Order: sequence, then structure tokens, then C-alpha cells
Amino acid sequence: MVKAEAVHKSFGRLEVLRGIDLEVQPGEVTCMIGPSGSGKSTFLRCINHLEKIDGGRLSVDGELVGYKEVGDKLYELPDAEVCRKRSEIGMVFQHFNLFPHMTALDNVIEAPIRVKKESRAVAVERGRKLLERVGLGDKVDAYPRQLSGGQQQRVAIARALAMQPKLMLFDEPTSALDPELVGDVLDAMRDLAQEGMTMMVVTHEMGFAREVGDSLVFMDGGVIVEAGNPRDVLSNPQQERTRTFLSKVL
Amino acid sequence: MLVLLLVAQVVYTILVEAGLKWDVVGHFLFQRLILRGIVVTLELTVLAMIIGVALGIVLAVMRISPNPVVSTVSWVYIWFFRGTPVLVQIFFWYNLNIVLPHITLGIAGTPIFWRGPGTNSLITPFLAAVLGLGLNEAAYMAEIVRAGIISVEHGQTEAAQALGMPRLLVMRRIVLPQAMRVIIPPTGNETISMLKTSSLAFVAAVPELFTRGEQISSANFDVVELIAVISAWYLFMTSILTVGQFYLERHFARGAQRELPATPIQRLRRMLFTFHAPPPEPAALPVILPRGH
Repeated sequence: MVKAEAVHKSFGRLEVLRGIDLEVQPGEVTCMIGPSGSGKSTFLRCINHLEKIDGGRLSVDGELVGYKEVGDKLYELPDAEVCRKRSEIGMVFQHFNLFPHMTALDNVIEAPIRVKKESRAVAVERGRKLLERVGLGDKVDAYPRQLSGGQQQRVAIARALAMQPKLMLFDEPTSALDPELVGDVLDAMRDLAQEGMTMMVVTHEMGFAREVGDSLVFMDGGVIVEAGNPRDVLSNPQQERTRTFLSKVL
Repeated sequence: MLVLLLVAQVVYTILVEAGLKWDVVGHFLFQRLILRGIVVTLELTVLAMIIGVALGIVLAVMRISPNPVVSTVSWVYIWFFRGTPVLVQIFFWYNLNIVLPHITLGIAGTPIFWRGPGTNSLITPFLAAVLGLGLNEAAYMAEIVRAGIISVEHGQTEAAQALGMPRLLVMRRIVLPQAMRVIIPPTGNETISMLKTSSLAFVAAVPELFTRGEQISSANFDVVELIAVISAWYLFMTSILTVGQFYLERHFARGAQRELPATPIQRLRRMLFTFHAPPPEPAALPVILPRGH
């Protein structure tokens, strides 16, 4: 589903990604861990072209993201093409980023109606179902500021799912939540994984990674240090850096 | 106290010693030509603000476009229209026919063009004033709208982009509605300002309030009386707009401020209430000792 080959990314003179190679199979849940500044969020944002990559190739579902290849050169695609590709990839942010001037339901149906040109009735019906599925069937008319952080994040998950994406990206979805609210969000994500959604999750929730993840990637200094089965990596890390990191967070 | 004395002196001078013919002021205050001038002033203000706001939004969105050509065009527009006096701009549109006797549409350097009507029949004095005021206003509104757009958190744009929304849709549906609370208060100021600036349409001989006052006073020589009449009207209209702006700002402060500022009526009520309220009880009541024991 996702294929990264030698992906490089710099902000000015700071090289944030220094050659990332990674493959994610359809239906797989990949969790990404690592210290802050290791480039894991940046890599996630490259996958739906919120950040441009400076080198290497990155494709989703066999199609390059944000670029087209002519000869052996890559050219950036026009906005409309990038948008089409993005609409197939859902993303959930650390700070939810719900639209504060819209109700929960309006947040969910906005993109299906405006981008996919679905009829309002169809979008509303699926929107209600999605909100119900994340446990917010009674909050359709609530505005984001009337919801708790955990509820907002679940609306954000429903909003991303409303576009019926092939791939879901989660950028530290529980890091901004009060500890007692984390569980509901992780439950929603677990359900999604069980239904076979391909997911990439940047997280600090080792329990979630161990239990739900099909593979675990440890990043540090802009490279993948270690990757493999979550149980193996967490209980028996092969690299010294992984061991040091895990000893601090576990 | 000194201030009150000074104010009293000034008021006395204006009302009594200046020898203003108050009957003339009263006569012209509701005179037909003056009232018609007010209508034209309001028309100028509304039309110029519509052009200003609409074009201002377009310019602001262009200004932050990733396309360097688009953003440069906007930058040059704002640079030019903010950098020259609005009086000069009105005068330019009024005199456009001198350099451009016919309005033509076409592509420069090619024989493709459409020859339109004469400039003078198309750009009337009224239109010249509306263009001058409106196009100038657009440059200022563009900066106000841009400030509003910048005030919206970047995560909003990212979330919308991640859903596959194209740039202009993100602007229209997500960013601009949230930018409104920052944009609306200064737009109220601009409208009040425009009401007064519209008097510059005088140079294009548009029969608005100031022009009417001028015309009448040049016939009857009651210059100061007519200045008093039109000043009263401008003051009246800006006062109404100021009250409107107060309530508009109060409305948009909702959710941002814990306690809304009191409306003048609330403040008055509070003042009256405190006048009637009993004085606060003294901390310690004086003990009255019974006499002679």
C-alpha cells in the first residue's frame, strides 16, 4: 500500500529524513515510535504530501504521491491532482484540528459533499453512522468546543473515514489527551484495525503498538533504526539505540 | 474644572458670539437638495464598500498565493493604490476620457479588440467616484482580510488539505468564515471612514452631501451655516454606524471574552441603579451613649 525508497527531506539546512525505506502491506497496521525530532511525524506528513520530499520515491497504492515521473525526473503535480490523491488518504492530527465553526456532523460531511460531490442525503446518512460507530451518535449537533478532547478526536477519526480512504495516517492521536480519555480513542482505532484498514500510527502508546500493530518501526535521527514484529522489537530490541529509548519510555 | 470652563467658553463662542444664523441652519437641515445629497452619500458609501470588500478578499487570497506571479500582482496593486491619494484617484477616473476616449477590450499587440462606447458615457461622475473610492478601499481591505486569514490556525488549513480540499475551497469554507471575527471590526471602522471620505466625490461634481452644501452656500453665501448643516448630518450618520459597530463587535467577541462589554443601555441602568441604591453600611456604627447616667 505504501512504499518508500530512500526518502529524504530537509528543512533548510536541517536534514530531517535521511533515507527512509519502508513498505506497508494492505490491511497492515504499522506503528512508528521514536524520540521527538526523529522525523516520524515528518515522514507521515510526506505520505499525503503535506510536506514535499527532497529525494527518493514515495508511492501510495502504486502511485507516486505529489509527483509524476517523466523520464527519470520527478515533477510536482498540480493542486487538483494532489487533492485527488489526498482524498484517498485519511489523516488524524495530534490537535484534532476540527473545524470550530461547524457541528460534528458538518465536520464529517463537508469533504464528502464538497470534494467527492456526494449528495447531502448520502453524506449525512454515512456521517451519522460513522459518528455512531465512534460512540458519538448523540453528539451530531454539538460544536467542537462543546466536546471533550477524546470526543473531538473521535469526530476527527469519523471525518477522515467519511472520505472512505484506503489508508489512514495517525499523527500522535492521543498525545494531547487527558490520560482518562485516551482509551476511547484507542478503542476506535482498534475497531478500525480489526476491520482491515491499512493504518500508519505515530504513537507513544507502546501497549497499543504491541497489541494492535502488525509491525513496529523505531526511528531516530531521520533514519529507521529498527523494524519488525512489535512484540520482538519491544521485548528483544537488536539495536543499542532502540534499547536506550525503550528503557526510558517503558 | 479648567476643562469645563474652556468647553463652556468654546460652546458660548460658537453658539452666541459667532453670529450663526440659526434660522438658516434650521431651514437647510431638512431641505430637499440636502436630503438628496444624503442619499447619494449613502449610495457612494455602500457601493464603494461593496467593491472594496469583494476586491479586498480577492486581493488578500491572491497575496498569499504560492504562485509568485499572482501574489506579485496583488502586491503591486496594494502598493499603488495605498501609495497615491484617493483624491487623485477619483480625479483620475473622472478624467479618464482625456487619455482613453473609448473603452476597448482586446489583446494588446493583436488586431483582436472590441470597441466599446465612449468613456464619458460609460464612466459617469458617480461611477468615477465609486471606482476611485472602491478601488482604493480594496487595497486597505486586502490588508485587513489578510490579517484575518493569518489569524486562523494553520492546522485548519492542513486538516482541510488532508481531506483533499483544493486551495480555494479551503479558503472559502474553512479559513474565511473563521477569519471573520478578526475582519469585521476594522471593516466597521472602514465603513465609518468611507462615509466621510465619500465627500471627496466633490472633485468629480457628484451631487453628494458635501457638494450640495457647497452649491447652496455658493449661491446664498451662508457658508458656515451650511457647513454646520452637513456636519450635523455626517455626525448623525457616523453616530448610527458607531452604535451598529459596537453591537457587531460585541456579537463577534462572543466566545473569545468571558464577560461582554456592557451596552450603553446596560451601563445607564447600572448607573441609575447605584444612584437609588442605599449607601453602603458604615463598617462600625458610632455608638450613641445615653446621656446622663
